[in-house]
Amino acid sequence: MTTDDAVLTDRPRGAARSGRPAPRVPNRSPLTWARRGGLSALVFALPLLLVFGVFSWWPIVSAVVMSVQQTNLIDPPTFVGLENFQAIFADPLLPKVVRNTAWFALLALVFGYPIPLVGAVLMSELRRRKGLYSVLAYLPVVVPPVVAVLLWKFFYDPRPQGVFNTILGWVGLGPYSWLNDQAMAMPSLVLEATWAAAGGTVIIYLAALIGVPSELYDAAEVDGASVWRKVWHVTMPHLRGVLFITLILQVIGTAQVFLEPFLFTNGGPNHATLTVMLWVYQLAFTSIGNNFGEATALSLLLAAFLAVLSLVYFRLTRSWSQS
Amino acid sequence: MRSSRPTALALAGVLSIGLLTACSTDDSDSPTGEDGKVKITVAGLLPTADDAAKEQLAERVAAFEEEYPDIDVETEDYEWKASTFTTQLAGGTLPNVFEIPLTDGKTLIENGQLADIDAQVKALPYGDQFNEALIANGTGDDGKIYAVPAKSIYAVALHYNRNLFEQAGLDPDQPPTTWDEVREYAKTIHDATGVAGYAMMALDNAGGWQLAAGANSRGGVIETFDGEEYTATLDDPAVAEHLQWLHDLKWEDGSLLDRTDLGWGDINTEFAAGNLAMYTSGSDVYNSLVEANGVTADWGYGLTAIPTSGDGGALTGGTMAAVTKQSTDEQKDAAVKWIDWWYLSKLQDQDQAVADAKTRAEADPAQAVGTPVLPIFSKENYEQSLEWVADYVNVPLENMTGYTDVMFDQELVPEASAAVQDLYAQLFPVVQAVISDENADIDALLATANEAGQSAIDG
Amino acid sequence: MTTVQTPSSLSPAQAVAAPAPVDAAPRRLGRRRLVVDSGERGALSTADWRRPLVKHTWRTMHLLLLVLLVVWCLGPLLLLGKFAFTPTQDIQSTPLAFFPNGATTHNVEMAWNRYHIGQFFMNTVWVAVGSWFVQVLVATTGGFVLSVLRPAWARALNWAVLATLFVPAVVLLVPLYKIVVDPPIGPSLIDNYLAVWLPAGASAFNVVLVARFFDSLPREIFEAARMDGAGPFRLFRSIVLPMSKPIIGVVSVFAVIASWKDFLWPFLVLKSDTVKPLSVYLQSMANVDKGTLMAALAISTLIPIAMFLVFQRMFLRGAGLGGAVKG
Repeated sequence: MTTDDAVLTDRPRGAARSGRPAPRVPNRSPLTWARRGGLSALVFALPLLLVFGVFSWWPIVSAVVMSVQQTNLIDPPTFVGLENFQAIFADPLLPKVVRNTAWFALLALVFGYPIPLVGAVLMSELRRRKGLYSVLAYLPVVVPPVVAVLLWKFFYDPRPQGVFNTILGWVGLGPYSWLNDQAMAMPSLVLEATWAAAGGTVIIYLAALIGVPSELYDAAEVDGASVWRKVWHVTMPHLRGVLFITLILQVIGTAQVFLEPFLFTNGGPNHATLTVMLWVYQLAFTSIGNNFGEATALSLLLAAFLAVLSLVYFRLTRSWSQS
Repeated sequence: MRSSRPTALALAGVLSIGLLTACSTDDSDSPTGEDGKVKITVAGLLPTADDAAKEQLAERVAAFEEEYPDIDVETEDYEWKASTFTTQLAGGTLPNVFEIPLTDGKTLIENGQLADIDAQVKALPYGDQFNEALIANGTGDDGKIYAVPAKSIYAVALHYNRNLFEQAGLDPDQPPTTWDEVREYAKTIHDATGVAGYAMMALDNAGGWQLAAGANSRGGVIETFDGEEYTATLDDPAVAEHLQWLHDLKWEDGSLLDRTDLGWGDINTEFAAGNLAMYTSGSDVYNSLVEANGVTADWGYGLTAIPTSGDGGALTGGTMAAVTKQSTDEQKDAAVKWIDWWYLSKLQDQDQAVADAKTRAEADPAQAVGTPVLPIFSKENYEQSLEWVADYVNVPLENMTGYTDVMFDQELVPEASAAVQDLYAQLFPVVQAVISDENADIDALLATANEAGQSAIDG
Repeated sequence: MTTVQTPSSLSPAQAVAAPAPVDAAPRRLGRRRLVVDSGERGALSTADWRRPLVKHTWRTMHLLLLVLLVVWCLGPLLLLGKFAFTPTQDIQSTPLAFFPNGATTHNVEMAWNRYHIGQFFMNTVWVAVGSWFVQVLVATTGGFVLSVLRPAWARALNWAVLATLFVPAVVLLVPLYKIVVDPPIGPSLIDNYLAVWLPAGASAFNVVLVARFFDSLPREIFEAARMDGAGPFRLFRSIVLPMSKPIIGVVSVFAVIASWKDFLWPFLVLKSDTVKPLSVYLQSMANVDKGTLMAALAISTLIPIAMFLVFQRMFLRGAGLGGAVKG
C-alpha cells in the first residue's frame, strides 16, 4: 500500500511542482541546448506529442471546425456557419433526448448512489472476510459490458417465461414488458447499469473509509458516542470529498451513456431511451445523409455542459487536497 | 508486480513485432498485388453464417479464381443494415462489390456514391435482358447502369409455423387470407398454446418497412409522385388502419408478441425458436432461416401470400449489387465478372446453375435450394433456371403453395423511391409507440412523422 | 434456484448462528490479511463488538449483506453459467428450472466451433496488449519529460495535456473517426489495430498519474545519477523505470480493463473478422440461437473473472485508487 499512498498524498505537492518551469535560465544557442539535454527531452516527449497531437489535440480542433461544416467525409466539406447548431435546436427530438439523458442520470443516482454507500460502510466494519465481500461486490464490474447487457436483455424477456417475470410471478406480480414499455424501459436500463457499476463505487468508498484516522473514533469514544453516532459524525463527514467526486464522475459518465440504450433498445420504444450520446452516434453514423456536422455540433454542446462540471470537480478536488 | 518483469519484456518484444507487421501489411488494399493480379474484396455472407455456407462460398471463389487466374477475390462478412451502412460507405470500408436494397439505388446514384459499371454490365451476354422495372432502380438519370438487381427479389409474404397451427387446431394448409383472419388465427393460437400468434418488426427502419408493407396490402402508399414532386403520405388511412390492427392484437387480444426491439434478423430468430406463429417479411426469408437459424425442411415452415384488401398489393423489394466508387477500372472489370459469377450466371447458364445448386444442397448442413423469389430477368428465364436445378430443390415447396400459386398474379407495389430510409425511420417509432402504449394517439403520431418525412424528402 | 430462496433463511437466529463456524474456519490468507488490517479500525471498537446487541445487529446486517451480494452480484453469473449447459428449449421455456431435461455441451461446442469465439477472444487480447503497450510507453516517457527532465516547454505541455481532461470522449468520436479513415500519413486505419491502440495512448489521466508519481520520487537520486554521468536515457532505463513498477502496474490494470470493456470505438473501426474484438462480435451474435449465445457470453466472461480472481488485490486496489486520484 505504501507506494500507492504516496501517490495520493503527494499529488498536490507534485502538481504544484511540475507546473513550474525549469529553474535554469534556458540557453538560446541550439547547440548548447541540444548538448544540455534539450534534444533528449524532445525525444522522450515524442510519443506523447505524436499520440496526443494526432489523436487528441487535432481532433478537438477538428471538432470545432466540423461543427460549422456540412460534410459526409467523401465530398469536400462546405462551410455552413451555425446552421448545424440551429438544426439541432430546431429538432423536436432535442428536448426529449435531453430529458431522457437527465432521467437516466437521475435514476442512476437514485439506484447507484446510496446503496453502495450503505454497503461500503457495513463492509468497512467487517473484521474478517472483507476480501470475500469485496470480490463479490466487484464481480459484475469485471464482466464485459456487452455480455452484461445481452444477458440482462434476456432476463428482461417480456414473455411470462422471462427470467424476471418468472421471479416476480412467484409473488403474483407481472408479467411486465420491461424494455418494451416506454415508461419502464429507462429504469430497466439503469438497473442493469447499476448492477454493472455499483461494485466499483463500493470499492472506492471502501478505500476512502480505510483512511478514516483511528484517533477520531478513539476521541469520539472518549466522549461516549454510540456506534451510530460514530458512523454518522465521524465516518460520513470523512467521506464528504469522495462522495462529491463520485457524484460528479457519475454524472459525467452517465451523461455520455451509450452502450445500454444502444444494445438494449437502440433508443426505442418511440425514442423513450434515446440519449444524447446515442443521438450523436445516430446523427453521424446512421442517417442516410451522414450528418457529421450536426453530430459534432451536438457533441460540442454536451461537452460544454460537461466541461463546466469537470471544472467544478477539478477546483474542488484541488482545494480539498490542499486543505 | 515483481515477477512480471520478464513477462513485460517478452510482451514488449512481441508487441514491437506486432506493431511492425501491422504497419507493413497496410498496403494490402492496393489494387494490384506484386504478382500483377487484380485484387477485389466482395460482400460475402452474414457475420453469423453457417460454416457450410462459408465453405460453399469458398468453393465458388476458388472456381472463380481458376476461371480468371489474374483476379484475386477476398470475401468479407456482410450484412446490410441502415444503422451501419452509411458508416461503411463514408469510412470507405465497403468491399469493392457490395449489396444494397433495391430502393436505395437512386439515392446513392444521385449522391455520386456508386461506380459507373455501365459498359461492363452491357457487355454481359444478358446485359439487356434485365426486368425493366428492376434495372431502373440501378440506372442513373444519365441512363447509365450503376447497380444491377442481384438476388432476393422478394414480395413481402406471410410466414407461419405449421406446428403451432396444428397445436391450436388450425389447418396449416389453409393459412389466413385476410387481416381479420390473421387476427382470428393469432388469437386462437395464443389462447391454445400461450405462444404469441403474431409478431411485428419494430426495430429501426425494418419496422417502418413492414408497416409500409402492411399499408400497401390495404391499398395505401407512404409516398406519392405527381411527375414532378414527391409527397410523403405517412398519414394515409391505410397506415393508420394497419397500426390500429396491431394495436387491437396487442391490447385487445394479447396475441401480439410483446417486443418493440425486433429487427429483420431478430424476428427470424424468435420465429425459429418457436416464440411466435406468424410474421411478415420478404418471401425469401427461408434462405436465411436455414443459413443462420438452423431451420430444416421438416421444421414445419409455412409460407403464404400477404393478405390484401381493396386494391392492396404485396410490397416488393430486393438486393442490388454495386461497386465502390474508389475501385480502379481493373477492379470494376473484375467486380462485374464476380457479380456475373456469384449472383447472375446461375440464372442464365445451366452448368453454373447446377454447380451452384449442387454445392448448396450437398453442404452439411444443406443450404436452401429453390426458395421462391421474383424473377430478375423474365418469368420464362426464372422457370427455366428452376427446372435446371429441379434435382437439388430441398425446400418444402408443398408448404409454400399459398405464395407460389399467386406470386406471378398478385398485385405488386414497389417501395417508395425518394428518401425511403428516412420515411421508414419516421415510421418505426410509431410502430413502437403502438406496441408499447395502449393509449398511443395514432393519428397525431403519424401527422408528426409525416411532417418530418416530408422535410426529409425536400432535404 | 437456491439463490432466490435464501431470503427465507434470514431469521435472526440463523443469521446470528451462521457466522460462528465461518469465524472458526482456518483461512490460508488469514495471516496476510491480518497484517494489512492490523493498523486500522472501523467505527466499531473491540469493546463495541463485545456488547451483544451491537454484535448481533451488525452480524445480522453483515449476513444480510452477504446474501444480497450473492444473489445480486453472483446470481446472474451463476444463471449464465447454467444457461451455457442448458438446452435452448429449456432456457426459453423454464429459465430458472435446474436442468429439467438434463445438461448439454452442445451450446458450448456451437459457440466454440461454429461461431469461433476463441478467435475473437484472441483479437481482444491483441487489442488489450497493444493498448497497454502504447499507454505505458506514452505515460512513462511523457511523465519523465514533465516531471524529471522538465525542459522550458514542460509547463506548456503540462497544460496542453491537462486541458484534454476537460474534453469528454463524445467530442472526439466523429473527428477521430475522420482521422482514422483518412490519416495524415498512410492509408486508412480501419480494420487496423493501430486505430484502437494509438488513440488509447492519448490518455491525459495516465500521463498525469505517472508524472505525479515521478514527482514523489526523491530528487536526490536523480541528481546523484546525473553526477555519476548518467544521461537521460540511462536515468530513465536504470533508475526511473525500475522505481515506477507500482504505478506502471496501476496504469496497466486500467489499460487492460478499459480495452476489455471498450465497445463503441472498436465497433466503428475494427469491422473485419480478423481484427474484430469479442465485444463487437458478441453484439453481432445477438440474434443467434439463445443457448449458443449464452454459452458464448459465458465463455467471454470466464477469462476476465479468472483474471480478477487471480489478481484481485491489484484490481481492487486499482479500483479504489481510481476514484481517489482521477483528475
